[in-house]
Amino acid sequence: MKLETERKLTFALFLVIPVVSFSVFVIYPIIRSIWLSFHRWDGISPVMTYVGLRNYQRLFANTAFKIALTNNAKWLVFSLLLPPALGLLLALLIDNKLKGERLFQTIYFLPYTITPVAVAAVWRWLYEPRNGLINQLLTRIGLGHLARPWIGNVSIATYAVMAASLWWTTGFSLVLYLSGLRNIPPELLEAADIDGANFLQKFRRVIIPQLLPSTIVVLAMSAVDALRVFDIIYALTRGGPGYATEVLATLMFDFSFNRFDMGLGSAVAVVLLVLSAIIILPYIYHTSKGLEGIRN
Amino acid sequence: MTRAKRKYIFIYAALIFFAAVFLVPIGVMISTSMKSPPELVNVLALPKGFYRENHRAAFEIIGRGMLNSLLITLPAVFISSFVGALGAYPLSQFRFKGDQLVYMFLLAGLFVPFQIVLIPLFQIMRELRLYDSIPGLWLVHTVYGIPICTFYLRNFFATIPKSLLEASLIDGCSIAGYFFRILLPLSKPGFAALIILQARAIWNDLLFGLTLTRSATTRPVTVELSAFVGMTDVQYGHLMAASLWSILPTTIIFLVFQKHFIRGLLGGSIKS
Repeated sequence: MKLETERKLTFALFLVIPVVSFSVFVIYPIIRSIWLSFHRWDGISPVMTYVGLRNYQRLFANTAFKIALTNNAKWLVFSLLLPPALGLLLALLIDNKLKGERLFQTIYFLPYTITPVAVAAVWRWLYEPRNGLINQLLTRIGLGHLARPWIGNVSIATYAVMAASLWWTTGFSLVLYLSGLRNIPPELLEAADIDGANFLQKFRRVIIPQLLPSTIVVLAMSAVDALRVFDIIYALTRGGPGYATEVLATLMFDFSFNRFDMGLGSAVAVVLLVLSAIIILPYIYHTSKGLEGIRN
Repeated sequence: MTRAKRKYIFIYAALIFFAAVFLVPIGVMISTSMKSPPELVNVLALPKGFYRENHRAAFEIIGRGMLNSLLITLPAVFISSFVGALGAYPLSQFRFKGDQLVYMFLLAGLFVPFQIVLIPLFQIMRELRLYDSIPGLWLVHTVYGIPICTFYLRNFFATIPKSLLEASLIDGCSIAGYFFRILLPLSKPGFAALIILQARAIWNDLLFGLTLTRSATTRPVTVELSAFVGMTDVQYGHLMAASLWSILPTTIIFLVFQKHFIRGLLGGSIKS
């Protein structure tokens, strides 16, 4: 009995550093931000004024906020569709036991290792209106009328940032799908071959169902990343031109650290947190149920 | 031509096409970084030589940031992995009241949008006099690395047979002794993957660097580079040279340790 208590105590000691530091530097700031969202504060003065829901009222009446919310919705649709679809396509192409498949995997995955800031830098240059690669190519192949200032144009800037993001993030879906494909029991595919199934039939009946666990992970991560996307937008457009590429994360930063309106910034952060929770809680619940299985 | 052969030609063609598209931005980055200003008007042409001025200018802009990033990333990677191991050990070996709760709590941390902590974190760091300091960033990257490190290592530790713990305890090893003398050395492959994963995450961080540093002697390279990208009049030769240098460390690590990197990524993405 004494031994058992001693063990418990040792294990508790191991948990002290992670749990305490996480509580102080993560949990407490979250609660404090929620609290701040009900106050008016410039970030410097010792005075904070309680304003109730005023910050939220101001926020929901704010044009930039509406644009940011719409853009996050667009990012969500984009992230759930394009990187996973392209990642799956590339994984299917690679997974054919061909010579050089490692090399292709390396090439497709490489952008994912790069900092989003450098991604923004190179895409700013690719999008450069006069000498940038994209407009130059369009002109060369006789499509000069399609050339435009991609990130300088209000109606397409967000999609231009997404294209840069697609190049950057597809590698993540690719790697997850590739590992999923390699975990499909070969007997299943052989059995389908013996039954004379063509590729599309195999794809629908065997591959897609077998890839369900990978798909759940890919989609959950993509959804969260779509809500908290910040780096690439901040570095490429700073939310501009105007508010055209603004999302909640960049807006929060702008309100808080450029305009020192900490209450309004916190309100944006709270909205972001609530949206993330709505999307991710079912997934965490689903995962933690699976954990019991791993443990036992 | 047989069907199988046609299929392979088609697949290769598609693979090569996508590879070319994926390599274009990197290729443009490298070639532009070698070009002199007059050459920039023709992005499709190869560089005539190696225009050193770009790299000299790049170093002026991001050289110090590179050093700072190195000073931030190296210790932070090891501290965060170790702290993650501290949490992962009990969670992987032992059932106790509320273990699920602790675990869910940490897991939720994987998905928190960091915007929700920025303002109070900024205040806390100021009060602790860690604002605008490199140790401050070690602390922040360690704490915000706890979810992924704990999660990843818990899964890794769970693959080590529990009978080993029991046998060691019977042999008179203590709980802490097992952790330091047996579990940690046995987990080297796990740590290798995690350290690479964390190195990428910390080197590439922009948000914490942007909010928690101010002076040139602490700002990480991502912050310096993002200020440069944001300028209205940019010399693209300089910008591409700076970008190239900023991605060099992570790219080299990836190319050398690709297998570990991908294993880390797979272990760190939550599969049920």
